[in-house]
Amino acid sequence: MSRDALPLQPGLERLQRWMQAVVVHPGTVEDAIASTGAAAEIPVESLDRVVRPSRSMSPAERVGVYHGMYLMRMEEALAADYPVTRHQLGDHRFRHLVRAYVERHPSRSYTLNRLGDHLPQFFLEEPDWPQAAFLHDLARLELAMTEAFDEEESPALGPAELEAVAPEAWERARLRPIAALRLLALRHAVIPHLLAYHEDRPAPAPRRRASRVALYRRDFAVRRLELDRAQHELLAALCSGAPLGGALSAAAARQRSARQQDKIFRWFRTWVAEGLFAAIEI
Amino acid sequence: MTANRWGFPDLGLGVGLRTAHYAHILSQEPDVGFFEILTENYLDTGGRPLHILDQVAERYPVVMHGVSMSIGSTDPIDLGYLAKVKALAERTGALWISDHICWTGVLGRNTHDLLPLPYTEESLAHSVARIRKVQEFLERPLVLENPSTYLEFAADDMSEWEFVARLAEEADCGLLFDVNNVYVSAFNHGYDPVAYIDAIPGDRVCQYHLAGHTNKGTHIIDTHSDHVVDPVWELYGHTIRSLGPRATLLEWDADIPPFEVVHAEVRKAEAWRRLEVANVA
Repeated sequence: MSRDALPLQPGLERLQRWMQAVVVHPGTVEDAIASTGAAAEIPVESLDRVVRPSRSMSPAERVGVYHGMYLMRMEEALAADYPVTRHQLGDHRFRHLVRAYVERHPSRSYTLNRLGDHLPQFFLEEPDWPQAAFLHDLARLELAMTEAFDEEESPALGPAELEAVAPEAWERARLRPIAALRLLALRHAVIPHLLAYHEDRPAPAPRRRASRVALYRRDFAVRRLELDRAQHELLAALCSGAPLGGALSAAAARQRSARQQDKIFRWFRTWVAEGLFAAIEI
Repeated sequence: MTANRWGFPDLGLGVGLRTAHYAHILSQEPDVGFFEILTENYLDTGGRPLHILDQVAERYPVVMHGVSMSIGSTDPIDLGYLAKVKALAERTGALWISDHICWTGVLGRNTHDLLPLPYTEESLAHSVARIRKVQEFLERPLVLENPSTYLEFAADDMSEWEFVARLAEEADCGLLFDVNNVYVSAFNHGYDPVAYIDAIPGDRVCQYHLAGHTNKGTHIIDTHSDHVVDPVWELYGHTIRSLGPRATLLEWDADIPPFEVVHAEVRKAEAWRRLEVANVA
C-alpha cells in the first residue's frame, strides 16, 4: 500500500475542527470540503484517507449527510421562534435569511432555544436586507414573546396587597413588574402581521407607523396589550421604578381634561388585574 | 442475562414527554411506566414547560435525556451547563441522566448535531477522562447512548461496539442502548447488528430506546418520525435475550402523532418483553 492510500490520523482536535468547518459551511458539501477553513485542517485530496466510503456512498456523500442536516436544523429552530417572520418572508426567503444569520450568529449555547436571540440585531447589522427596519421590529416582537414565555414565574400583585398600602404611602410607593413582562416601542405596525399569521391570512405589506405593546405572561400563556403613547410612557416609568405618585401625576398632566385623567386610573387597574406587577415596595 | 449494576429499576415502558401531548397526559393520566424528558428543553425556562414537568414528575418516574453534553468534544466541559442539569435532576427526582456518545461542536460553537467520534485509542481515552469528570460533578453515574452514525473514519482502531463497551467499562458509566441506532448504523456501515448487541456489557445497560427511521435507499437516517420497523423489533427481542429486560422508551420527535398512537407503539414492546423473559426463564 502506498503512503497516499494509508488512513490519515489527523488527531482528534484537528478532525473535529475539520468536520465542524464542513458541517456549518453554507455552500454545497463539495464547496464545504474545499473551503479555506476545512482545507486548512485536512486537504481536499486527503478526504478518502479520512472518511471511508460505504457500499453505496462516497466519503463526500457521507459527510454530506451531516452537512445537509445542519441548516435544516437551524431553520427548524428559528422557524419555531420566528413563525411570523417566516410567514412574512415565505419559505424561500426565510431559508436564505437563516443561512445568512447562522453564518454571522452561530449557536454558542447548549440550547437551540436561544439561537434567535440576535435576529433583531442582525437586521440592524444588515440595513441593506430588504425591509430590514420592519423586520427588525417584527423580530423584536417575536423575541420578546419567547422571552416572556420562558421567564421565571413570579406571583402577581393582588388586590389585598394594594389595599394594605396606607394612603400616605402611595405617593412614594414603587411597583416591581413581573419578570415575564416586555415593553416595546416600535416604528412599524407589527401586530397586524401577528394576527395575519394566526388567522392564516397572507401577510400584509409592511407599514411604517409607531406602535407600542406590552407582552406578558399570565396563566403560563403569553398575552399582549396594545398601548398608546401615554400608556406606554406611564407603564415604562412604573416598570423602571419611578415613584407611583410622580409617575401618575406626570401622566395626568399630559391629559387635557379631568375625564381623560380618569382614564389613567382605569389603565392602572387594568394592568394590576392583568398581573403585570409582582410587588409594591413602600 | 444480567442485572443492572447500579440497581436502576426496570421502569417498564416509557414515552418521551413532548409539548403536543401535555394536555392529554395531565388530563388522562395514561398508564405509562415513565417519561423521558429532553433535558435542554427545561433548563432555561420558568414558564409552562417547567410547570407541566413539575406536575408530570409528581405523578410519574422521570429520566433525563440530553443532547448537548458533547462528551467527546475537545472543547472544555461546560460546567455551567452541568450545574443546570444537576439542579434539574434534583428538582424532578430524575432516576438517571443520559446523553450521547458523540460531540456536538468545538471552538465554542454548537452544531446541535450528534457528530461521530473516531473509534481510536486517543478518542476513547479522551472521552473516558471527560466522563469521569462529569460523573464526579453530577455525583451519579452518567448513562450514555450509542449513536446513529452516517460515516466511519478511516483511522478507526476498533469497531463501534468495542469502543462503546470499553468506554463504559473504563469510564465506569452506564449505557442507554438504542436498538434502532444499532440497526441504522449497521445498515449504513454494513456490519452485523447482532454481533454489536452481543458485545455490550449487559450489567451497564440502564435503558433501551426504540424509534422509527427513514430509509433513503443508500443510507438510513434516524429521524424518530415513524413506527418501529419489524427488524428493529426482532433486534429488540434479541437484545432482551442477550442483555436483559430494561426500561424501554419509544422516541417519536418528528411528525408527532396523537399520544395514543405513540403509546400503542411502545406497548408493542410488552409482547417482546414477555416472550423473551419467558424464553430466558
